[in-house]
Amino acid sequence: MAAQRTARARLQGAGFDRFLPYLLLAPAVLLVLAVVVYPLVYGVQTSTKFYRFGTAISDVGFAQYRQAWNDPLFRGALWTTLKFVTAAVAIETTLGLGLALLCVRELPFIRTLRMVLIVPMVITPVVVGIVFRLIYASDVGLFTSLSGLVGGGSIGILDNERGAFWGLVFLDVWEWTPLIFLILLAGLQSLPQEPFEAARVDGAGTWRTFVDHTLPMLTPVLVVAIVLRSIDAFTTFDQVYVLTHGGPGTATQLISIYGYDTFFRFQQYGYAAAMLLMVALIVLACAFLGIRLIRRQAATA
Amino acid sequence: MTPETPTEGSAPGRDGALSRRDLLRTAAAGAGLAAVPLLGTTPAFAQARRHGVADAGKLVIGAFEDGAITAFEKIIPVFKQQTGISIQLLTAPYDSFNSKAFQDGQSKAGQYDIYIMDDPWIPQFAAAGILEDLGQHGIVGDAGFAKPFLDLGYWPPRQGPRIKGFENKKPTLVALPTIGDLQTMTYRNDVYKTAPKTWHELVTVGEAAMKAGTIQDAIVFRGVKGNPIVTSWYPIFLSYGGKFFDNNWKVTFNSAQGKAAAEFFVGKLKSLAPKGVAEYDSDQEGAAILGGKAGAIIQYTGNAIKSDDPKLSKEVGKLDFAVVPKQAKAIAQIGIFIHGVSTSAPNKDNAITFMKWFATDKAQTALASFGDVPVRIKPLKNPALIKKHRLLPTVLAQINAGAEARPRTPDWGAVESILGTELNKALVAGKGGGDALDRAATQATAYLKRQGYYS
Repeated sequence: MAAQRTARARLQGAGFDRFLPYLLLAPAVLLVLAVVVYPLVYGVQTSTKFYRFGTAISDVGFAQYRQAWNDPLFRGALWTTLKFVTAAVAIETTLGLGLALLCVRELPFIRTLRMVLIVPMVITPVVVGIVFRLIYASDVGLFTSLSGLVGGGSIGILDNERGAFWGLVFLDVWEWTPLIFLILLAGLQSLPQEPFEAARVDGAGTWRTFVDHTLPMLTPVLVVAIVLRSIDAFTTFDQVYVLTHGGPGTATQLISIYGYDTFFRFQQYGYAAAMLLMVALIVLACAFLGIRLIRRQAATA
Repeated sequence: MTPETPTEGSAPGRDGALSRRDLLRTAAAGAGLAAVPLLGTTPAFAQARRHGVADAGKLVIGAFEDGAITAFEKIIPVFKQQTGISIQLLTAPYDSFNSKAFQDGQSKAGQYDIYIMDDPWIPQFAAAGILEDLGQHGIVGDAGFAKPFLDLGYWPPRQGPRIKGFENKKPTLVALPTIGDLQTMTYRNDVYKTAPKTWHELVTVGEAAMKAGTIQDAIVFRGVKGNPIVTSWYPIFLSYGGKFFDNNWKVTFNSAQGKAAAEFFVGKLKSLAPKGVAEYDSDQEGAAILGGKAGAIIQYTGNAIKSDDPKLSKEVGKLDFAVVPKQAKAIAQIGIFIHGVSTSAPNKDNAITFMKWFATDKAQTALASFGDVPVRIKPLKNPALIKKHRLLPTVLAQINAGAEARPRTPDWGAVESILGTELNKALVAGKGGGDALDRAATQATAYLKRQGYYS
């Protein structure tokens, strides 16, 4: 025992304790390096190479980033994605907030309503895409069938650019409003009650209370919900792949679809990597801005 | 003996607290576990992993999911009975199998011995060098095969332009046709008393039938962007005399013939097709013809044979087959199933045995008896088979009238996507087919230039 103690003392003397935390952290760090950092570095490396027949044949530096920026299809897909994210998240936030305000009250049917509301969110996105394709179909779809009941003709949602775009937004709203609803409901339930009681005593109406108390106190949660949903909406793929595959024309060609086609179908690995890394940077910048906003809010609260 | 006084971090945590030694042990175990996946990258492990294990009596065939593959599966027991080799058939959805098979070949993983591919994949797979030269194994493309089908197994192609790097290479046989597949016309015999021979005839008779209320739509086709719309437009384009590229890969599909075909397609044909045809894919066009709403359709054999199946068709007995209508010629698109041996196949000998066996008239006759279209001429003319499979004479007639495969370049998918997007936009608008081809030609030229076609 004495010998053990001496050895331990020697180790401590050699600064073993200083390295111990690093040693303990090493497995986790190794894992992060392997599953996060390595793929990222590999992605950057891939983006600097020109591939032909699945093999890198030359180094092209950052030329493919410039090429992406000058590619009208890439810019078009980026613009469509931004429009889609803005429209979908704005509607989802408005609806989610409304539903959360409704469900925060203790009414008799609320428990059931809460459960029903989260159902769309737990359905696999591909299944949602298939279901909506059937609903929107101009030959056997729901709208055509309803129109048929009153003697009308077929109604096409996906056969025109505007219909397809808003059809996709509606699908996303249906599927993901529950997420915003859940986050905001949790936020509302955690708000302190004192300011509301004080407002009630002062005779403030529902709208005044909402604007002066609920909204300011809920803003940090609201920002988190919007940032999370925006990042998620930016990477929407499965539903579009099944529903329209980016069509008609390029009306619903989100960046994820264009990236997928470029990588898997056209085997332009380097170019696809460059494009998608640019998109990742844009998403990262948005997330960064969102987080800064939250911090600023928290600091002023 | 002095009782041990536990010092911080030295003794086992008897009271449940974790000691330093425990932590070190856990950390070491964790590091070991984390290192396990990295071991896979060491040369010895990678070598062991790289090649699938050879099995004397086994053969692994990979294919994309399709109705024709379901019929193909039925031939597997016949092969096993005759050779003693058992086949494991692994299927995946179309795009997914393309990626899996290509990565398998490139990484030399040896997951598959034989790939059953769509014929436009041949340039991609063969240019990457992942298909075995069949000539080295004594397999020759004999005259018993339908020539347009057999031609697709050669790389570089025996006819037409060749991509950079393969201009002067001798064509080698890298794949053999598996299942025959090409476009033919299916039409309602109560609407068209005889098969419409020209596009004009199809339009005028169909239009009259629509007015008379005999039929809801004269024709149905796939209008979805990308491959579906290009596939539907293809026979019209070819029959108008269009060509996609010249011998130097200069884009020529926006020629006067091409534009006339595009205008006819997005204008006149759209007006005779179901409303909403711009979102129609194969499921919807199939439902329209089999459900009795449409008068005619140009479709691949896999869908055509559903016409006689009472479980799938409401119009059994009313649907007949013919070669596609003509303008200048009557040319259809070929899209056969084709199989090649992976250069990293662990069971290469068995794969070669299968290919030799499958290339016989006998095996092809058996295949046809299960419902697939054979790729050899003799079974296509076999009277007993024709009795069971009345599409076969039409297939042969279409081969003789004219059938062309898609351009032999790995970049066809990208060009088709560009073309299909612009055509779809024009179809939605119901006009502007010629302008759509001009826009597509500009984009396709820029794309091909980036790929080094014109340098």
